[in-house]
Amino acid sequence: KIKETQSKFEFDFKSYMLEKANLVNQALDLAVPLKDPIKIHESMRYSLLAGGKRVRPVLCIAACELVGGDGLTAMPAACAVEMIHTMSLMHDDLPCMDNDDFRRGKPTNHMVYGEEIAVLGGDAMLSFAFEHMATATKGVSSDRILRAIGELAKCIGSEGLVAGQVVDICSEGADVGLEHLEFIHLHKTAALLEGSVVLGAILGGGSDGEIEKLRKFARSIGLLFQVVDDILDVTKSSEELGKTAGKDLVSDKTTYPKLLGIEKSREFAEELNKDAQEQLSEFDPRKAAPLIALANYIAYRQN
Amino acid sequence: TSSVSANFDLKSYWSTLREEINQKLDEAIPVKYPAQIYESMRYSVLAKGAKRAPPVMCVAACELLGGNRLAAFPTACALEMVHAASLIHDDLPCMDDDPSRRGKPSNHTVFGMDMAILAGDALFPLGFRHIVTHTPTNLVPETQLLRVINEIARAVGSTGMAAGQFVDLEGPANAIEFIQEKKYGEMGECSAVCGGLLAGANDDELQQLRRYGRAVGILYQVVDDVLEAKSSETDIIDYEKQVEKKKGKSYVGVYGVEKAVKVAADLKAEAKKALEGFEKYGEKVLPLYSFVDYAADRSFSFADQV
Repeated sequence: KIKETQSKFEFDFKSYMLEKANLVNQALDLAVPLKDPIKIHESMRYSLLAGGKRVRPVLCIAACELVGGDGLTAMPAACAVEMIHTMSLMHDDLPCMDNDDFRRGKPTNHMVYGEEIAVLGGDAMLSFAFEHMATATKGVSSDRILRAIGELAKCIGSEGLVAGQVVDICSEGADVGLEHLEFIHLHKTAALLEGSVVLGAILGGGSDGEIEKLRKFARSIGLLFQVVDDILDVTKSSEELGKTAGKDLVSDKTTYPKLLGIEKSREFAEELNKDAQEQLSEFDPRKAAPLIALANYIAYRQN
Repeated sequence: TSSVSANFDLKSYWSTLREEINQKLDEAIPVKYPAQIYESMRYSVLAKGAKRAPPVMCVAACELLGGNRLAAFPTACALEMVHAASLIHDDLPCMDDDPSRRGKPSNHTVFGMDMAILAGDALFPLGFRHIVTHTPTNLVPETQLLRVINEIARAVGSTGMAAGQFVDLEGPANAIEFIQEKKYGEMGECSAVCGGLLAGANDDELQQLRRYGRAVGILYQVVDDVLEAKSSETDIIDYEKQVEKKKGKSYVGVYGVEKAVKVAADLKAEAKKALEGFEKYGEKVLPLYSFVDYAADRSFSFADQV
């Protein structure tokens, strides 16, 4: 049944993603112009406009449209979640954190601009995300904008994204159980996806019930993303993945296949996809199509 | 006004507010799982001896314009959170490389660089969240809160404090005015303007608060530098070390003590001038007014100050 839905929307989904991602790219380009001091803004633009599928902003816009809002209303929030995602990568790649020299085939921000600029540019982007939401969101009541700002702040702070990063750092080399692994992924990956979807739903005028359904949806696909990632790492070749396969085994990272085995991990992924899509069952199926397709894309991707 | 201002007891006004703000900050960051990050955030935000000048200025500006101080407390706390976040990151080895702050080891010295980065990354959003969740909506309209959030985000952002820190680190040379204005004036300006916004100030009043806060913020730092230079003059090696470290980074380092004292006097006059339009509010202007004198003269200190 899911496969059927997937094939039915596959083509539409691709063009939907491309169209929205293009709009997001244009909006991001305009939101962060080059100004003084040039180097900070250059560094922000370097990472922000480096490409990527723009999954978070598209989720934000799709959720806004799903609850009956105009997608453009959510554009500043969509840009904000991408800015946060980008700044967290800029800081994550630093030598004192993950120490990564490359991201998406390009030298990381601190390799090009220096560590101090990567820290400052990231901080500036973090605060700008809030400034942008507060000033650029049009056609929504102030109380909804404020609520969305509060939600974003919660999702990315010490109860959200940062909590995931901290627990991840602190459990390197430790024996990690299933619950612990789930905590890391629910915070490190799912929290910002949750924020993206919930911001869109708030700004689109969704009811509290709708917002909570979409919140559950996002948490499920966030976890799903990670489970699938872990499975691909052990089942695909480097060639198929476009990146080094088997990395998790080499680094002895705790993964779902390691804890559950491949078969059980696949079942868990199916279950998460089903849980996610069930949350959408009461919405207009036509309007829910982009989110259903996104869930299927995350579940069935081959790399 | 100066004779009246002499009768105003700034120290007790400030002490009372300071205690309340310390308590609210303590409550705003309870330790949860994972404890490390909360400990690290608390270490910097609740550091003993912090004077809480930005929050006190915010509350005083709000009260000056007839606002309720309860309306200003959450924003006042947020100012300390984002300020602490900036300072934690400024102290990192890749930035100013400061192993200590206020006489205590800096955040990364205690918790490690990775935690220090993440503590800053968590404190920025916590500040914004605190404003949204704690400001009584019956006291402040939502549109004003959006302006407050915008003001704070801009102050710490790429054309504000981050720009000051950038020029401080990478030049160009002779940018001392720019650095001081951005690194120190911005926070003062933001604090005063936020207080005004929370009380519903009009554009004219906000403009005056902007001038006032900026002047006081820079004044405070210039006087700090002058005092530091004077106190280390007796130890010539220490003095030279200070000058070397701060070359191009402070008025004293660039222009010497004498010129810095002159700059301080100008800033003091500028700050008081900005308050002229508020004299119609009578005694309510006294906290902000005597704040200027304090920034210039440091006539008292708090018992726990480091």
